[in-house]
Amino acid sequence: MSATAQAAAPAGLGVRAAGRSLGGLLGYGAIWAFMAVFLIYPLLHLFYDAFTTEAGEFTLANFRDFFTDRFYLRALGNSILLGVGTVVTTSLIGVTFAFLLLRYEFPGRRLFTYLSIVPMIMPPLVGVMGFVFILGRAGTVNILLMDYLGFAKPINFMYGVHGILIVETLHLFPLMTLSIVDAMSKISPSLDEAAESVGARGFRKFRDITFPLTTPGYVSGALLVFIWTFADFATPLVVGVDDLLASQAYLNIVQFVDRRLFKMGIVISAIMVLLAIVFLIVAKKYVSIKDYSSLSYSVIERKTLPPLAKAGVVCFLGLILILAFIPYLGIALDAFGKGWALTPFPVRYTLQYFERVAFETPKFILNSLLYAGISVLICIAVGVPIAWVGARTRLPGREVLDSLTTLILALPGTGIGIAYMRAFRDPLPGIEVAFIGLWLVIPVVLGVRRLPYTVRGTYASLQIVHRSYEEAGESVGATRARTFGDITLPLIWKGVLVGSLYSFILALQEASATLLLVVPGHEMMTVGIFNFYIGGSVNEAAALGFILILLGAACLLAINRLAGTRMGGVFG
Amino acid sequence: MRNAVVVLALVAFVWGAPVSFALAQAPAIENELYLITPVSKDVHDPMLKAFAAWAKKKYGVDVKTSAIPKGTPVAYGQILEWKGKPQADVFWGGEGTLFDNLAAEGLLEKVQLPKAMWEAIPPAIGKPVPLPLKDPKGFWVGTTLEPYGLIYQPKLLKRLGVEIRDWEDLLNPKLKGQIAQCTPDRSSSSHASYEVILQTYGWEKGWEWLKKLAANTGIFTARSRDVPNVVAKGEFAVGFAVPSYMAFAEVLAGYELVFVYPKNAYVTPEPMAVLKGAPHPKAAHAFIEFCLSEEGQLLLSGLGVYPITPGLKVQGPAGSNQEKAVAFTGGLRSFFEVEIGNVYDDKIAGEKKRIEEVNSYFRKEIAEKHKEIVK
Repeated sequence: MSATAQAAAPAGLGVRAAGRSLGGLLGYGAIWAFMAVFLIYPLLHLFYDAFTTEAGEFTLANFRDFFTDRFYLRALGNSILLGVGTVVTTSLIGVTFAFLLLRYEFPGRRLFTYLSIVPMIMPPLVGVMGFVFILGRAGTVNILLMDYLGFAKPINFMYGVHGILIVETLHLFPLMTLSIVDAMSKISPSLDEAAESVGARGFRKFRDITFPLTTPGYVSGALLVFIWTFADFATPLVVGVDDLLASQAYLNIVQFVDRRLFKMGIVISAIMVLLAIVFLIVAKKYVSIKDYSSLSYSVIERKTLPPLAKAGVVCFLGLILILAFIPYLGIALDAFGKGWALTPFPVRYTLQYFERVAFETPKFILNSLLYAGISVLICIAVGVPIAWVGARTRLPGREVLDSLTTLILALPGTGIGIAYMRAFRDPLPGIEVAFIGLWLVIPVVLGVRRLPYTVRGTYASLQIVHRSYEEAGESVGATRARTFGDITLPLIWKGVLVGSLYSFILALQEASATLLLVVPGHEMMTVGIFNFYIGGSVNEAAALGFILILLGAACLLAINRLAGTRMGGVFG
Repeated sequence: MRNAVVVLALVAFVWGAPVSFALAQAPAIENELYLITPVSKDVHDPMLKAFAAWAKKKYGVDVKTSAIPKGTPVAYGQILEWKGKPQADVFWGGEGTLFDNLAAEGLLEKVQLPKAMWEAIPPAIGKPVPLPLKDPKGFWVGTTLEPYGLIYQPKLLKRLGVEIRDWEDLLNPKLKGQIAQCTPDRSSSSHASYEVILQTYGWEKGWEWLKKLAANTGIFTARSRDVPNVVAKGEFAVGFAVPSYMAFAEVLAGYELVFVYPKNAYVTPEPMAVLKGAPHPKAAHAFIEFCLSEEGQLLLSGLGVYPITPGLKVQGPAGSNQEKAVAFTGGLRSFFEVEIGNVYDDKIAGEKKRIEEVNSYFRKEIAEKHKEIVK
């Protein structure tokens, strides 16, 4: 873009605009091409597969099979119920957290603010493993109950749908907190004051001011929580539940023997993607990126609580966080403990598992960093322009781009993984290898899946930079590219970086699309965790999970230093 | 000066020619090898490492090895999906029937082994039904012997006041919710054990028995390897249809487990075959040779499985893994020393139609109704 624009610059304003749009259009076209090839085409292919027979003829039979099968219908119902249930529980916890952290002053508030995001760093599978170590039938809690308190039987905390609910709730409530915190800190205090000045207090104020203004943040948080739970197949499998949609998609796809079941796996994935699209349309009013237009964070005055209430708040937050940190304790104990069974804590400790996963086979860690790194570069190369187009231009199609990036947030990873498997399995011309046979497929799918965080981080920052700064630059003859480089970029780099760091953490933790797409010999940490786990080496899986958690915590600390909790907007 | 160089080059060429000729004749192998296998890491990892060392010694080649871990049905389906352009060289583990099917599809290459080595392996084992240990047509060969048995966590079982010696003991009502098993459509060890029950009692009564087993079952795991894992941890007391080595691996890792070899339990020869169109065929054949060599068999015998050649026994110095394995499986040192009972008929069980029948019956009558069965 810059070359064309600069060459055209001296030739007067009209030509400059034309040259700019020509170069710009090329870049814009490239972004669209990327989205078309790596997002739209695979999804269309998935639907094509779902609506055709093995021979390629159009059919509705696959869907008829699904909707006449009692078992699948039950799975669909269970998945929706579980999703809704998780939204309810995370709302209760997440919204309470957000209110307390934002509106009140109490000891340890800053620490609680940081700690309340941490539970989000929990790679799939690792969380539920950690919970089972502590709350399983032979977990620490039950052993203590039986050995010291005389319980005859263990309490079943984990095995069943309620176990999934516990795991998902304590993992996902921070998403809700972040979304609400973000929305609430954008409510101008003057509105509050205005409401109070006309006598609206308490519930009335909440109903008329706070609630409507936080609804967009809440809805997008709820949608994310719902989809996340809906698409998770690892947690249910560990606690022995397989009548859920995601588990059925996974189980049917990873077996190749029965072609009919395989087809059903594809159909289930297509249904999951369709549902995601439907939810998105329903919630569209709230989750569109445009709602971030009033992005000036307001300073909220915090109320000081009476001592008793203070103690209550600290106890409540502390209790929830202790529960949310259970999996970290479990993972840490199992990563260092040898032969841990039927005792509250391991009796022997060792470093051998870390040696095995970090030194004998460092490839998991190296590949993870490499692929997540490349995927972030993709996120920046594609995402920053998308955000810029959305915030600064009126190009046709930019709203579709916005919808597409939002759609990605809602897409179940299993669905994308299966779509890629089907869409890119033909050998590429010239190299005789299919795209899914190249390791590059992993960074690409990670880049696509984590794109929204970079887009949103950048978009939110662009909103804060007032257009007049850029106009000032342009008025003294700077090209748009130069303006972007000299004025806009220095002002938004933090937002881009924070968005990218979120993209990075979540790329490191991705394990649904990548599990299906991994190329032999190029496994990353999450795949390693899964392979170790299903290969019976649970301790190694725990050790690798432990390292992954530490990496995530380091990134989160960096984000916190850069932006505090204010970047919740990247999730909405 | 220049001439001298030419002369030197000529001399080098003439001298060098026979040398390079001789080198070309040495049976070198490729420097990579990929397995696709349901045999879990506990066994395939040490075998691949030892093979790499063996190949270095024998061929002077540094072989980079890797394994794609997949359950038997999945690995089988993956090989079909590859359609003769496999991303792996060797398929290892499972039941002979699946290998026969692959050979019939033209997806296997004949095994190349020294004749003596091939012949040292008996054609079949077990009574009254003989179970083949190698393919008469030569497309696959057994590598080791191992029973799919029952396991339990001794402390938990004692607490429950139950003893387990044979299949029937699993139906004890005291074990309600205490059994872990994998589903027959996800695990071939589970599938084979279901067949043992079905062929012992007949279709109707067999399923009755299996439903009673389901009534005591607390979890259907995602993979067969999860079964010894959750029992070792103490999450569940008893495991059904567990390959001996998987349970033994947990013992080596420091957990407490007891293995029971019930009557007529399925014994797998863990077949091995080279995939047609394999990217590294020479390394693949060399790996089979290594597995069947005395060195390979001895290594296997320390991992909780048994030699497939009648001449070898599981034995070692006191405290060795071999002796631990013998103690673990109740004193057995070789499958050729005792009478091995077998009712599993692969002519019945191996039919594709039958496999699907068993799986869909299980899905409809047990998996989907598990909650009601438990009640």
